[in-house]
Amino acid sequence: MVDFSSQIDEFDKALAEMPEVMQFFFGGNFYDFIAGNIYQAIGIGGLGWLIATLYERRHNKQMAEREALLGDIKISTTKHIGSNAASGVMIYGSVVVAHDFFRTLIIQFRKIIGGNIKAYERLVVRGRREALIRLREDARLRGFDRVVNVRYGSSRISGLFINAVELVAYGTGIKDHAKTNISPKS
Amino acid sequence: MIITNIENIPGRTVTEELGLVQGSTVRGKHIGKDIAAFFKGLIGGEIKGYSDLLVEGREEATSRMEGHAKDLGADAVVNVRITTSSITGGAVELLAYGTAVKLSPANG
Repeated sequence: MVDFSSQIDEFDKALAEMPEVMQFFFGGNFYDFIAGNIYQAIGIGGLGWLIATLYERRHNKQMAEREALLGDIKISTTKHIGSNAASGVMIYGSVVVAHDFFRTLIIQFRKIIGGNIKAYERLVVRGRREALIRLREDARLRGFDRVVNVRYGSSRISGLFINAVELVAYGTGIKDHAKTNISPKS
Repeated sequence: MIITNIENIPGRTVTEELGLVQGSTVRGKHIGKDIAAFFKGLIGGEIKGYSDLLVEGREEATSRMEGHAKDLGADAVVNVRITTSSITGGAVELLAYGTAVKLSPANG
């Protein structure tokens, strides 16, 4: 067995030489230092989890409000454009979402058991809803009346430090002839 | 240039198909955005830096596809699909592909 006690003593000495401010953050000795690290990790993780939960609730509420305003923009997954269409252009809505640090950790353990990973289900459902809302808002901004041939896509985005999920919705925005006009083909 | 992901252009008639056109790009953000994403990852939610990256990348891919279609003398690109894939940490590949077509002259 390797004896670590001499290293621990050296560590304690080094800590004692540090300014008081550092000692406040690092603790007085080696074991305080390790415990401090664990408390900090749990603290940051727990705070992140709390903020994420509140954020999720607020986001769902906001999305419900935005959806209510977009009720007149119809979404269709078929390619049928009808005889009343005047012009159309492809539009997108996309969002990149990620889990908080704490949930990511829990999910690592959850994956051992398998089954439905509810936290991820909620994340992608929320992201997809946001992507569709952005698509419809873009359609509204450009003056389209409806969006046809809507397709969803999702992909894993691996950043340098975190993994995130991208949800995209795209389709063709259609501008109809004014309703008073009789369509030329009918 | 008109781009749609349906098989025709509303209000116009397709006269000739010119074949597959595509545009792709591999993009990354500078390290500052990755670090910002790490801190955003502590609380989760939307990662704006990466959202912007993908929106810019998709515009770039679409404009490259348009350039390709223009070289063929096309007026529009129909039935466009887009895909995203993560190549390596901090970089994504975006691909847009569709069929370049010629349209009959606009009838006012």
